Amino acid sequence: MKRRIFLASSVSALVAGCGPIGNALNDNAAVKRALASVEGLNHALIGTRGLAREYRDGDVDRDFRVNGFSTPSDSNYTTLAAGNFTAFRLIADGGVERRRAFSLAELYALPQQTQITRHDCVEGWSAIGKWSGVRLADFLDTVRPRGDARYVVFHCLDNDGAGNLYYESLDMHQARHPQALLALRLNDAPLDPAHGAPVRLRLPTQLGYKSAKWIGRIEVVGSFATIYGGHGGYWEDQGYEWYAGI
Amino acid sequence: MRLIYRYALAVRLSHWLWVVAFAVLVSSGLQIFNASPNLDASDKSNPARRVLAIGAPADGVGTTTILGRTFVTTGWLGWTDDGMGSRDARAFPGWLTVPGYRDLAGGRRWHFFFAWIAALCWLAWLATAAFKGNLRDMILRPSDVPKLWPMQAYYLKLRKEPPPHGTYNPLQKAAYTSVLFVIAPFVVLTGLALSPGIDAIANPLTVLLGGRQFARLWHFAGMLALLAFFAIHTFQVATQGVFNQMRSMITGWYRVGEHDGVGP
Repeated sequence: MKRRIFLASSVSALVAGCGPIGNALNDNAAVKRALASVEGLNHALIGTRGLAREYRDGDVDRDFRVNGFSTPSDSNYTTLAAGNFTAFRLIADGGVERRRAFSLAELYALPQQTQITRHDCVEGWSAIGKWSGVRLADFLDTVRPRGDARYVVFHCLDNDGAGNLYYESLDMHQARHPQALLALRLNDAPLDPAHGAPVRLRLPTQLGYKSAKWIGRIEVVGSFATIYGGHGGYWEDQGYEWYAGI
Repeated sequence: MRLIYRYALAVRLSHWLWVVAFAVLVSSGLQIFNASPNLDASDKSNPARRVLAIGAPADGVGTTTILGRTFVTTGWLGWTDDGMGSRDARAFPGWLTVPGYRDLAGGRRWHFFFAWIAALCWLAWLATAAFKGNLRDMILRPSDVPKLWPMQAYYLKLRKEPPPHGTYNPLQKAAYTSVLFVIAPFVVLTGLALSPGIDAIANPLTVLLGGRQFARLWHFAGMLALLAFFAIHTFQVATQGVFNQMRSMITGWYRVGEHDGVGP
């Protein structure tokens, strides 16, 4: 019986000890790196292949759930929004042959694409929307990335309130995926501020946090190591995977 | 009374690796679940087809809604341990999640790493067992089915002798076959179907499961099935001579002719 009592008390001590130990391991930088090592494996194996399923009009969520933070509080953004984004310019720069600033009208003048796809949030919920806009591949063809370009960085027009600007990045392969879209419209109406007006990314082959909202500048780079936190995106700087296909 | 060498090193190693991986996968999975504590039997999220919802309708009140019936579960589910010494709106309590505090990114890191460990461990175990020819003894065959009830009757002391069997009895075969070849692969497939990258490659898998949110529901159900196996398994170990059983799974040596639960 003593052994049983010993065993039972060891098990309960183990359970009680698990919490603090788990938390300490979770906070440890070396453990974090080791655990995150499988991201490369997942990226290599799954990657960006195939096409996300396209749905019918009847599948669309008319009241599309807002993800992340709802409406930008940045004063430049609110000024633009108050003017119905007529003063808005989408800047394309970095490693491109044609640096340019696009007005909304100029973006609408590029070939438009529509997709009805499912948005999978990292939190676990999903919603279906009808998105229209410019294919990112077409946009890149317009500004022509140089030969050494490897990543496309999306700088957003808002910050998290603590001064950290939202941003995201894709590699060239992901950016040229036929369903990677610079969305201007959701469900047959121009994007509203909560859903990323005036321009947001739509990338149905990865989780929602990659689909950056309120894009103001698209920069083509060779590496994102020196941009903001260096992990290639606002959420990535908070510990989320850069490859969000899983 | 004599000692027999019952479990090869590969079996013992994979067994304990699975124990660790399973514990981490469940607790990090609950962390991930907590970020959106609903399960819908649908493709996209759909409150009209909600099977499970855990929430906190007000500060200090936790509720669990199963198929439209709501139960107050304050302290256990919905409003519970926040992993930082206090209580907050949390579906599963912090003492059940990795890490204890709310950290979706952290939970995902643990989950994906140990998913690989569990899967590679399964492949290594399968290769070893196939190579050694042990698989033949483990897999439930149609001829074992009529022996399932006599074996259960023997366990229930309704029958004096167990039906004749090989290394593993028919119930053990049924348990191992269903866990290792049905439930575990099912949990892997339902998990993969949650990945938008894999969905783009293998959409028929997601469709077959009833859609993306349905896959999340199946993935959760698969975890419950594995937990049920774990509960029965540990109960049996605890009641069939726990020290002898533990020793054999640690050292490989098992004492035959002894089921009294008292150590050597």
